[in-house]
Amino acid sequence: MKLGILPKLLQNLFSKPMTVRFPYESIPIPDGYRGEHAYDMDKCISCGLCAKICPNRAIEMVEAPEDLKDTYPKTYPKLDLGKCCFCGLCEDICSKDAIRLTKNVFLSTFDHSNVIKYPTPKAEEQVNG
Amino acid sequence: MTRKTRGKRFTMIDEMEPAPKGTEYDFYFGPAHPGPGNFGVKLKIDGERVVSARADPGYLHRGFEKLMEYRTPIQNAVLSDRLCVLEPLNWNLVHAEAVDELMSIDVPERAKYIRVIMAELSRIQSHIIWYGVFSKATGFDTGFKMAFGYRDYILDLFELITGGRVYPAGYICPGGVRRDFPNGARDKILKVLDKMDEMIKLEELENPALDARAKGVGILKVKDAVRLGATGPVLRGSGMKTDVRKDEPYEIYDRLDFEVPVRKEGDAYARYMIGIEEMKQSIKIVKQALEELPEGEVIASKFKKPKVSVKMPEGDVYVRNEVARGEGAVYMVSDGNGEPYRTKIRGPDFLHMIPVLEYLLKGTQIADVPAIYWSLNICPADMDR
Repeated sequence: MKLGILPKLLQNLFSKPMTVRFPYESIPIPDGYRGEHAYDMDKCISCGLCAKICPNRAIEMVEAPEDLKDTYPKTYPKLDLGKCCFCGLCEDICSKDAIRLTKNVFLSTFDHSNVIKYPTPKAEEQVNG
Repeated sequence: MTRKTRGKRFTMIDEMEPAPKGTEYDFYFGPAHPGPGNFGVKLKIDGERVVSARADPGYLHRGFEKLMEYRTPIQNAVLSDRLCVLEPLNWNLVHAEAVDELMSIDVPERAKYIRVIMAELSRIQSHIIWYGVFSKATGFDTGFKMAFGYRDYILDLFELITGGRVYPAGYICPGGVRRDFPNGARDKILKVLDKMDEMIKLEELENPALDARAKGVGILKVKDAVRLGATGPVLRGSGMKTDVRKDEPYEIYDRLDFEVPVRKEGDAYARYMIGIEEMKQSIKIVKQALEELPEGEVIASKFKKPKVSVKMPEGDVYVRNEVARGEGAVYMVSDGNGEPYRTKIRGPDFLHMIPVLEYLLKGTQIADVPAIYWSLNICPADMDR
């Protein structure tokens, strides 16, 4: 009879589980994680490099909404999170740090319109909140 | 075929009378089933015996070779993650080396070390998954849970270093690596390696059920292995000492001290043991590379900032690496534009999962099919591409 596994069995009876109770506690996410984008419209110079480098073509340069057209007359990135692979190339190529990836990973949604992020000046506050 | 490990109360398959005529039936192993992953095998069964097996690829085809023709090298680096879900960093390295050689880029020394450390860590976690799925296939579910628990330690490390748990998003990119190690990464890697030692000890525990189901099952002789195009752990499990890291060293492998584990039996158990031995060697490699890790830049100046258009000189290049599953290679042709004119990817699993698998399954018992299937260290994503 082979009993090599028995000591491990006894050890496991008195050890903590490997998992955490997720909604109540979670594993901290390190800095530099590639999560949801934070976009700063004021820093953006509308160069369009993020749209060109995006491997999945998730970024499209669009005009600002009608009521903001006076302040923001150029084109700005519209981001489709459904296409995004979170590679972070847009963050790396942006020379003005207008686009960067945050640690937010809670992106699942029941509403498909949430998946597309239109350029709005308030986007930054929402992400940090 | 007779089996020594099984008791005499079982009737050996060769001793059984052939089933009466007209009792053959088709059995579809996969593709949408947790057993075989995203891959289908059409089996013709007669009683308990597999009369013939026909692999049915294409369920996970995504057309990488064509996609790569429309993307620049840095975008392709991101795409090369997806070639094999279980070992993205190894495929990053193959692709990055092909572009480096085509553009004759001098990769900084520190980047080379980081590349090897990350590739070996990726190999360890891939072998852990191999152990997990092989345990599950042979009815040892605890092994599967254990494997995925311990794999998470390495994924935590990837999260810290590359910014993503499973997909590093082209961390090993043309010219070097995208980010330097963050503070404290070295200590964390050493801590994780201790955990991996723990995992190896668990894997080596005696398991009578696994012995009975894996020993003497799916024997692949060296001659057949070479004829059918097996590489990597499968070929080494059959008794041929071959490893691209030794035969044609790339990056810094010629400076490192490690052994190539070989077993002569050629059965599922030998291949499984090769996996465990290789994990030990990978731990040794990572420790050595961490000790000798030099200071300096991590990416060549040409690729420091990603560029929208990169001109690749005209020419073609063939680069081969030892990925966790065997020999992975990229053949890249450039016509002088930013995008490669043609990229051919040679994955190890195409040959493991079609000719080798069909050959091994023929004439076995139906109960041995999962054990043989998973003992080949397969990855449907790599095979279908």
